[in-house]
Amino acid sequence: MIWLTWRQFRIQAITAATALAAFVILLAATGPHLAGLYATSKITGCHAFACGTAANAFFGQLAGLDTVVYLLGIGLILAAPAIMGIFWGAPLIARELETRTFNLAWTQGVTRAQWLAVKLALTCLAAMAVTEALSLSYAWWANPISKAIGVSVGGPQLFSQGVFSSVSFASHGITPLGYAAFAFTLATAVGVLTRRVLPAMAITLAIFAAVQLAMPLWIRPHLTPPSHTIAGIFAADQVYGTLSADVVPGQPNAWILSSQALNSAGQPVSAIPTACASVSYPGEKGGASALTPGQCMQKLGYREAITYLPTSRYWPLQGTETGIFLALALALAGFCFWRLGRRRT
Amino acid sequence: MNAVIETDGLGKRYRRQWALTDCTLSIPAGHVVGLVGPNGAGKTTLLSLAVGLLAPDAGTIKVLGGTPAAGQAQLARVGFLAQDAPIYSGLSVADHLKLGAHLNTSWDSGLARGRVDRLDLDPGQKAGTLSGGQRAQLALTLAVAKRPELLVLDEPVASLDPLARREFLQDLMEAVAEQELSVVLSSHLVADLERVCDYLIVLVGSRVRVAGPVDELLAVHHLLTGPRRDPDALPDGLEVISASQTDVQTTLLVRTSGPVLDPAWTVSQVGLEDLTLAYMSQAAGGRRRGHRHLEVQK
Repeated sequence: MIWLTWRQFRIQAITAATALAAFVILLAATGPHLAGLYATSKITGCHAFACGTAANAFFGQLAGLDTVVYLLGIGLILAAPAIMGIFWGAPLIARELETRTFNLAWTQGVTRAQWLAVKLALTCLAAMAVTEALSLSYAWWANPISKAIGVSVGGPQLFSQGVFSSVSFASHGITPLGYAAFAFTLATAVGVLTRRVLPAMAITLAIFAAVQLAMPLWIRPHLTPPSHTIAGIFAADQVYGTLSADVVPGQPNAWILSSQALNSAGQPVSAIPTACASVSYPGEKGGASALTPGQCMQKLGYREAITYLPTSRYWPLQGTETGIFLALALALAGFCFWRLGRRRT
Repeated sequence: MNAVIETDGLGKRYRRQWALTDCTLSIPAGHVVGLVGPNGAGKTTLLSLAVGLLAPDAGTIKVLGGTPAAGQAQLARVGFLAQDAPIYSGLSVADHLKLGAHLNTSWDSGLARGRVDRLDLDPGQKAGTLSGGQRAQLALTLAVAKRPELLVLDEPVASLDPLARREFLQDLMEAVAEQELSVVLSSHLVADLERVCDYLIVLVGSRVRVAGPVDELLAVHHLLTGPRRDPDALPDGLEVISASQTDVQTTLLVRTSGPVLDPAWTVSQVGLEDLTLAYMSQAAGGRRRGHRHLEVQK
């Protein structure tokens, strides 16, 4: 059975290995340059505000190719589970049904459950391994950029993806394993239902894309209990206009789930108080000695109530999200076994 | 000997459409059994149930005494060649033999290689480029090289041209003679099977219309020709399977265990094809016109 799985899968396997090797070579070729730039930047051993300046200087030095690889890598890691699900998972059973070769496969001397177990397990592990290999090699390559992002303040938009950002979280750590297993088993299960390869591919793509969007928007924020803190509006780097916090004091790179401006009595406010709205900016006519709205609110005792995830929750959250996808993958695999077995007795 | 396939009230439903209903039959071992019936009689469904590709929705089926596809041991005992001989078009002939070797503990690689050599199949050729006849031969090789006790073939020659048909059946008979297999093969044309099977089952609308060893069936069925008369006014012991009348003449296909003594009839031998067609049209006519139903005892 292992032989048959390999024989039917080897072209896809070689294609994937070639693509992975090409990507790793690209990373190996550009990685040392990136590491060199980081080493000569003043980020290592920097203090306080100097870090932000050094990080921004480092970003400024990055070549066009570095930027391309940086974006390409993230895109590839996020797309790999879907690609392998579509091209490996969807045909796994659907093609046998479509070409009626199941008549041949399921009347040999191995049971349908054995046939499915070997095919599903080997191909799924291959998909997980490829995705994780992409993720790990990319994490190695992008390490200087990640470290610079960690200390940068108000850097370029392109390099503002902290560890908790939607794309970064799903492409680093162990989550790629979960996404790969889920996409693969999803495609296989859909193929069992549609009995046709092409519709299975299309449906898988739609569902997986929806899950990839829904996860960071609606699900991930609720996976682990958040921390709460109340900070002064300058300490929270309050964003003028929305009155939302931008940083958590003492918790660099934390994921701010929500924030609420409070007045001195502790009541939530959604607009700049009239007492402060009319104050003029420094530098405006006659405003040299006046307060900015922020200074005004600070003086009146306004604060920010922040709900956030500290970076210490990063790995527990990674584990939870991966666990959810692995559990879904197991359920989908179980469905395939049940559905195929049901034809028998 | 035991039955190779035994069913009782067997039924299979696709969504709400029953493809096979209340099918009760017993196929004896040691025969080459022809399962004949019109398209839609439930032949493919019955055979798919027998090899465990389908599960019954009603009744029971036992194959070689076991539940179809219940485990490796049961799978090893039954060889199957599906309709249109599906093979992996991307794999070579040699790959198919490797597939058989890896997936069957009872695989006879000498037999498989010998057959491929004798059939002049190029081991390196992609199976997708084989002719229809070669495809069927390759699929049959896979089915016999696992050394099954029962070989099930679903419409094995339907898509083959007459020459390939003859070669295939000849080849099948050689394999059967060498390995002492029980064989069940289906067709909607009895002419395809006449030369190879020694046991016949006519299946129409899920029902067994007639079943028995071919020589026995031929011995008890007669074609009677004589002056026109009412077929209902025949003596007991004569069962009319089909009747056709002109103004002056009546032709009857009858089943009787004794000789036909009435000198008014000219008695002649009936061929297997006419016999089968008579049972098939009897069923069709009975259903269509609501005629007196002539159920035949096995």
